[in-house]
Amino acid sequence: MSVSAPEAAASPSKGFRLDLKTAGPLLALILLVALGYALNPLFLAEGNVTNILTRSAFIGIIAVGATFVITAGGIDLSVGSMAAFIAGVMIIVMNWAVESMGVSIWTVLMGIGCSLILGIGAGFINGFLTTKAKIEAFIVTLGTMGIYRSLVTYFADGGTLSLASGAREIYRPVYYDSFLRIPYPVWVFIVVAIIGWVLMNRTAFGRYCMAIGSNEHVARYSAIKVDRVKTWTYILQGLCVSLATIIYVPRLGSASAATGVLWELEAIAAVIIGGTMLKGGFGRVGGTVIGALILTAIGNILNLTEIISNYLNGAVQGVIIVAAVYLQRGSLSARRKKAAE
Amino acid sequence: MAGQGEPAAPVVLAAKRVSKAFGEVPVLFSIDFDIRPGEVHAIIGENGAGKSTLIKILSGLERPTSGHVELDGAPVELPPDGQAVNLGIVVIHQELNLAEHLTVADSIFLGRELKSGPFLKLREMREGARRILETLHVHIDPDVRINTLSVADKQMIEIAKAISRDARVLIMDEPTAVLSVAETETFFEQVDRLKAKGVAIIFISHKLDEVMRLADRVTVLRDGQLIATVGTEALTPDSIAQMMVGRELSNLYPPKHEPDVDADTVLAVRNLMAPGVRDVSFALKRGEILGFAGLIGSGRTAVAEAIVGLSPLDSGEILHKGTPVRFADVSKSVAAGVAYMTKDRKGKGLLLTANLKDNLTLLTLKRHFKGPFLDDKSETRALERAVRRFDIRARDPSVRVGQLSGGNQQKLMLGKMMEAEPDIIIIDEPTRGIDVGTKQQIYHIIAALAAEGKSIIVISSEMQEVIGLAHRVVVMREGRIAGILEGAEITESEIMRYAAGIKQGGENERISA
Amino acid sequence: MSLKALALGLLATSVLTGAAAAQDEQIRIGVSIPAATHGFMGGLNWHAAEAEKRLEAAHPNIDLIIVTADGPEDQASDLEDLVSVQQIDALVVLPFESEPLTEPVRAVKDTGAFITVVDRGLTDPTIQDVYVSGNNTEMGENSAEYMMTRLGEGDNIVILRGIPTVLDTERFDAFMAKIEGSGINVLDDEFANWNRDDGFEVMQDFLSRFPDIDGVWAQDDDITLGVVEAIRQAGREDEMFVVGGAGMKEIVRGVMEGDPLVPVDVLYPPAQIATAMDVTVAHFTSNGPVRGEYILGSPLITQENAEQFYFPDSPF
Repeated sequence: MSVSAPEAAASPSKGFRLDLKTAGPLLALILLVALGYALNPLFLAEGNVTNILTRSAFIGIIAVGATFVITAGGIDLSVGSMAAFIAGVMIIVMNWAVESMGVSIWTVLMGIGCSLILGIGAGFINGFLTTKAKIEAFIVTLGTMGIYRSLVTYFADGGTLSLASGAREIYRPVYYDSFLRIPYPVWVFIVVAIIGWVLMNRTAFGRYCMAIGSNEHVARYSAIKVDRVKTWTYILQGLCVSLATIIYVPRLGSASAATGVLWELEAIAAVIIGGTMLKGGFGRVGGTVIGALILTAIGNILNLTEIISNYLNGAVQGVIIVAAVYLQRGSLSARRKKAAE
Repeated sequence: MAGQGEPAAPVVLAAKRVSKAFGEVPVLFSIDFDIRPGEVHAIIGENGAGKSTLIKILSGLERPTSGHVELDGAPVELPPDGQAVNLGIVVIHQELNLAEHLTVADSIFLGRELKSGPFLKLREMREGARRILETLHVHIDPDVRINTLSVADKQMIEIAKAISRDARVLIMDEPTAVLSVAETETFFEQVDRLKAKGVAIIFISHKLDEVMRLADRVTVLRDGQLIATVGTEALTPDSIAQMMVGRELSNLYPPKHEPDVDADTVLAVRNLMAPGVRDVSFALKRGEILGFAGLIGSGRTAVAEAIVGLSPLDSGEILHKGTPVRFADVSKSVAAGVAYMTKDRKGKGLLLTANLKDNLTLLTLKRHFKGPFLDDKSETRALERAVRRFDIRARDPSVRVGQLSGGNQQKLMLGKMMEAEPDIIIIDEPTRGIDVGTKQQIYHIIAALAAEGKSIIVISSEMQEVIGLAHRVVVMREGRIAGILEGAEITESEIMRYAAGIKQGGENERISA
Repeated sequence: MSLKALALGLLATSVLTGAAAAQDEQIRIGVSIPAATHGFMGGLNWHAAEAEKRLEAAHPNIDLIIVTADGPEDQASDLEDLVSVQQIDALVVLPFESEPLTEPVRAVKDTGAFITVVDRGLTDPTIQDVYVSGNNTEMGENSAEYMMTRLGEGDNIVILRGIPTVLDTERFDAFMAKIEGSGINVLDDEFANWNRDDGFEVMQDFLSRFPDIDGVWAQDDDITLGVVEAIRQAGREDEMFVVGGAGMKEIVRGVMEGDPLVPVDVLYPPAQIATAMDVTVAHFTSNGPVRGEYILGSPLITQENAEQFYFPDSPF
């Protein structure tokens, strides 16, 4: 039972605790960077930093979308397959365009348009099935995950879909070129993250996501259109997958059944490392961005050193992920215990 | 029954000069407390007085900072995490702790299942459960699932569970808060039966009449201090209330201002049919407080939810200021100025993990925009306003709502609803589980709103509340309106007659349009 | 190895002539392979399907049933179904993993079926009647030999490996044994999971880590494609060359056209499944029984011979 007297002052250490909690994931990233630098100073070389940022863009952009889905109490397992599927269809459409009307900037724009439509559509399907057909999100997205994965395998005849070389040349700069020395994928990531942060923290939509994830009944009794908001989170997720795919395709110009495998787990891991609750009700877009950077940095560090056996890479990754979440939860639960008194 | 104070029976459980502080915040100061077999000992006090902490210490869930607990006259260190059950000390929490999907028999034997080898002896457990329920004169099938039971039945299961564990000391935190009048009566009989068996019963309650009815002795706490432990025979409800609050509580209910007979009807419901509602018709006037009384499950909440669009409406007509309306969901009803405040504070009313501000503005977030973005300053101003207007007390505004006392949660919920500036306000159980001081505040707020010209429906299971507040009282029974009472007719016995089905409704001519 | 190829050629002819002597009885042959989850398996699936069409057209009394599995457990169930539902007379199986599938295959053998094992051996080789396989050791050795023709004392290479499996270890160990003493310096090796994206990222990291790389052994063509992109991004095409493996059509075409970055490829034929199916059919259609091991070579694909390894219709 709390003490209702208002003058029962806040505990003196509270400010610091609050700080630690917000900064938990950031702290983990800083420690990881220090570790990386200690193991190989090249870790902080400009080229390597650019590589990490560019690589984290795919998972990061998808994870920003996943932050909304998870905050509103849902889950989307289909994002990896969805990315492969969208990439596959984009390539087919662009190759067709090259064949029928030659190579131009329109070829690429057509591919991008097609990606956006597919992403939004796929997100809507996930959202519609969870809210209107009342099937658990886990099952719906497990189902669509299998469907998209096998569709892309089917389109590629079990092999690989490759983008026609003409279109490739026009499209390639989207991944490889830079503006102000920062590669375009990183710009896209930055813009998505900023929009995501604003949406989560400065609009009614973000507040509604947290309310729904925290308690759907309360949300409904508070005049929130629960189904509509939840559907929008999946559409947003689809849109993020589509954006990630748009910058992924020019990298290798191909899609196969192996594209985007386990991206869903990486995206969810980034979200959770960042401090969002897996059960919903509390979302942090900034944390998600850091989570994605942590995941990418781990892989990078392992490639830059020889001291750890290759066979143990997975174990190192696992330990760091759990430790990062502990850093952030440990301080959180200490605070909760304090406050419960 | 009031304690003759048989000194023969030795004390079972006692607290000796127990103090407790959480961090630097002291919540209990040197409390002495004891209980004997066959005795009912009530602990009362305002929210935050330290009652819950005291029972946590008595049941081992918390450890005293100083002082100690004695069991059978010897100092003990009670085992943590509810293991004191093994010593015969059983706690029934306010939020009943039953797994909703288990059966009655499973629940009673949960944690100490009868087994032969690795296998459960299902038949024995079913029989055992039936026997225990029989000794309590409760007719519940051991095979039904908990989630199909009423709250009162669930509580009986908790009691049965306690008995099956050979409870010597039974500690109950507001056992009747969620029970209707009739259920409360059954509960009282149960307590008498346990008493006769020699079980020592400690209970916390906000309802002074039931304290008077049940307890042999009463311990009053205020701000963590022991004010007095007194035999019930020496007390009156007024004197208890005074000890609790430390001030005179002469006017719990504000004076009723006379409703204007010629006031317009702002809400008229005709032949409403909805889930749990059968053919309900009534009218609400401007500035009127209309009470809704009846047993739990009589359909009062169902009527409210059907009106505001929370549950589907089968047929019937709702006239809002003369215009037929049918609200598709809460956003529509709120936009029209009709607001409903749920009785389920924790489950449907508030986001317990969010802060005060986010809860306050959740219903009316659209008012706090600056362009497409939320305006934090405007939200903060709204909170400041609400804190002043409804006297919401929190340590600091960033505290999670789940950590507020029940009374402050209730006031916050009221504030949240009033942010929508409704003209028609439906309040379901306005004072469930909150202390007398806050009750009084809420009653005055309701009366003031009515005086401003708002129209208010108060749904309550506390008859005194309906009688003290309402201009007219609708009594419901089994989804129908059993009767509508006015003026001098509004008495406890009259309401009870309609609610229990002894008297049938004065039919439609009473329903003033 | 050309001898082996010759033997195979002879065998194929005998299969065709034997068709005339076909019995009336319907012969059911189950073919159990992993699903097309990456490029090489995609190619293998394509070759299996092509072989099925070809063999069934040539031998009306032969019925080939191809089933694909997503994992070892799945494959074990497939085998049970082939026996109980299809009542197969012979089994061609490419085991997902050696150990877990040994007993399930033995169970098929116990029904009297003829067993052909492809690519990955079972732990008990007495179960199989015929073993058809690519040669991982030879693949590693041939790759190393080519490296040694271009590089020497003091030159640096990096290695991108596949997934930690027996197959990968055989290639890697053979490669390392071969270059030993050549003075070629292996800077580091990392797993790239037979995947383009991983190949790209691992190579990016190698490039930022090592200022001087003369050669890359990618040992798989999916990885090779990722590696090539990473090298192009860094603008270091002129500094090094890449040796891939398997014989993906895009890479083979590049070799044919004389790409200086990927000058050669080392074959690890996805068509081995077709060989295994040919051999198994031959057991029923030719006069004598067929037994033994058929180890397919891993020849070096160069600009001169590339054309004979180029299958434009295959997805791989």
